[in-house]
Amino acid sequence: MNYQGVTFPILLMELHPFLQISSMNTGDPLASDPREGSPTERTGLMSGNQTSNTDRPSYRSSASDSPTMPETSVNANETAVVGDSNSNRRSRRPREERTRPDSASASTGEDEELMYGAKHVIMLFVPVTLCMMVVVATMSSITFYTQEQNTYFVYTPFQDQEAPTGTKLWQSFANAGIILCAVIVMTIVLLMLYKYRCYKVINGWLIVSSVMMLFFFSYMYLEQVMRAYNSPLDYITASLIVWNFGMGGLFCIHWKGPLLLQQAYLIIISALVALTFIRYLPDWTVWTVLGVMVVWDLVAVLCPKGPLRVLVETAQSRNEPIFPALIYSSAMVWIVTMADDGGRSKKKKKQETKDTDNNADEEDDDGGFKEHMANGISGHSLEDSVAARSAFQALGDMTQAQKDSSVHSSCVDPLSYYEKSEPQTNLAFSESNGNIQDEPTMQRQAVPEGAVGGAVAADESDVSVRSAKKKQKKRARPTGEGASAAGGEGEPSGGEQQRERPAVPGASDDASEMEEERGIKLGLGDFIFYSVLVGKASSNGDWNTTLACFVAILIGLCCTLLLLAMFRKALPALPISLTFGLVFNFATSALVQPFMDKLNSEQVYI
Amino acid sequence: MDLRRVKNAEKLVMCRRYYLAGFFALPFLWIVNSVWFFQEAFRKPQYTEQAEIKTYVIRSFIGSVIWLAIVIVWVTIFQLKRVDWGSTGDALLFSIPHGSA
Repeated sequence: MNYQGVTFPILLMELHPFLQISSMNTGDPLASDPREGSPTERTGLMSGNQTSNTDRPSYRSSASDSPTMPETSVNANETAVVGDSNSNRRSRRPREERTRPDSASASTGEDEELMYGAKHVIMLFVPVTLCMMVVVATMSSITFYTQEQNTYFVYTPFQDQEAPTGTKLWQSFANAGIILCAVIVMTIVLLMLYKYRCYKVINGWLIVSSVMMLFFFSYMYLEQVMRAYNSPLDYITASLIVWNFGMGGLFCIHWKGPLLLQQAYLIIISALVALTFIRYLPDWTVWTVLGVMVVWDLVAVLCPKGPLRVLVETAQSRNEPIFPALIYSSAMVWIVTMADDGGRSKKKKKQETKDTDNNADEEDDDGGFKEHMANGISGHSLEDSVAARSAFQALGDMTQAQKDSSVHSSCVDPLSYYEKSEPQTNLAFSESNGNIQDEPTMQRQAVPEGAVGGAVAADESDVSVRSAKKKQKKRARPTGEGASAAGGEGEPSGGEQQRERPAVPGASDDASEMEEERGIKLGLGDFIFYSVLVGKASSNGDWNTTLACFVAILIGLCCTLLLLAMFRKALPALPISLTFGLVFNFATSALVQPFMDKLNSEQVYI
Repeated sequence: MDLRRVKNAEKLVMCRRYYLAGFFALPFLWIVNSVWFFQEAFRKPQYTEQAEIKTYVIRSFIGSVIWLAIVIVWVTIFQLKRVDWGSTGDALLFSIPHGSA
């Protein structure tokens, strides 16, 4: 068979080997005691770099129907914001320092975060494990994927299996280099398309590639499974199966479908692509490719001008999800939930503090905000928080008072938002508002499981939606301040909002349409390469190596998630895991396995 | 997609599209439809679109059952009669089993 055509879409899948967190920080705003310092700073810090989360369907539908419509309306504001943040980056520093004491609270929320972190870790472990299991099971039961073959990707012209080791080595590096170049070119093409808003092209590309994968790969897979189990299947049933599977996948991935089914499809696609990689890449090249991808992932996600980073930032500034077909997200909830209230109040609160500092102009507020977040992310280190805490203690009562007022206002302000965005939820939110102010913990318990991770996401979308809604906010803010000045009691503020609502009709209609994807996001590329590593490790039939790789990858994933919790921005998920995996693979197969064999043959038991 | 957060009108559109798409020999979509919208159709308090959703869900369910029956009957017949059909049966084979010694 000629697989040259297939490789193009496959490469696309590699484009997103990064981990994106929308919500590691779930630390609900109210988790930490308001008296102890604003809960808020922390989410504020992270929210800046987090994913933008908007509604999948709306993105899709907007892309298919009238791709540019929603954007253009926001466009002017948006660019203004960005430019602003840049220009203000330096000048705003002093103000930022002033608000810094708030971040003392950051350390207080640590425990909750770790707790939620564990949940998120498991939410990612399950799909990654499933994907690897599919691959390993296939590798060990279907010989097609392990046998010697002569067909290879067009990207790997050097495939001399009988050459001496030196030749094989440079050939594998040459192959990996070619693949890397292809990946870079694809990434840049995608980035350019995205930058210039060619959504139709991107969507077409994604659909074509997923059609390829869903139909062609599943057909191949079915064929091999049937052959391996020696069961006669007729063409009619086979085509029915493939047709249904493929169309179901297209519906779920590119339109709407149950979340579970979407996730299942993404996992299956990843597994199929990983199997194809294992099958059609020369033996040595697989390992070099894995090594090269580690470096590429680091560069692409962490460099200031790395393509993936630029992509993420662009998506954030546009408040769009990054191609849903390429990202696995562990959960998805709508924007208007109780949990959001917390996230919002945090951010709000921060704005309030800022506003009290400098109430003068709105543009500055945005710039300062962004800069603040950028700063917080880069400088959110231990020293920082320690310094912040001491500063906080030194400030003492004064800060306390300020904080009290700001907390109140924070609770109030988001409310006015909500009321505008979703009139029918009015009551619920007023109620929750009351709860918040009385007992922060109540609110926390009320947060539904799935939505726990949501605070950040909400924040983020808030950030980006902000540009569109600046005016409304401007009007809304005085309300919050007034309430806080009045002592921040629930009832009065509620009243205020009620009054305020008619004044700004439909202020955030777009927000009400917005669907949030919460939870951690992991690029499909990560799934693919993890599975390639484990699958390849299992291809020589050694379960020790397979398990060692599996554990190493999961540990690497844990470390990455830990870093994610610390840095709160999109991180490459491949480097740590794959490095561990590669080390463990070779160590196990070259050192541990012979050692165990020796022990076995000598009948020594440790 | 989380159905709890979808507007009722939207639900109806989704349900209808899944139902209509199912006619293109896509019983899988019907199965998904009937499972996914089951709660909506039968367990939720009354709302205006519910009646229509209910009919779509029921029809999807019936359709998927019919499809399932057809497929099972066909596969059974094929497996039993494949050898008798001779070359026609072989031509229909997607994967050719090798004999066991």
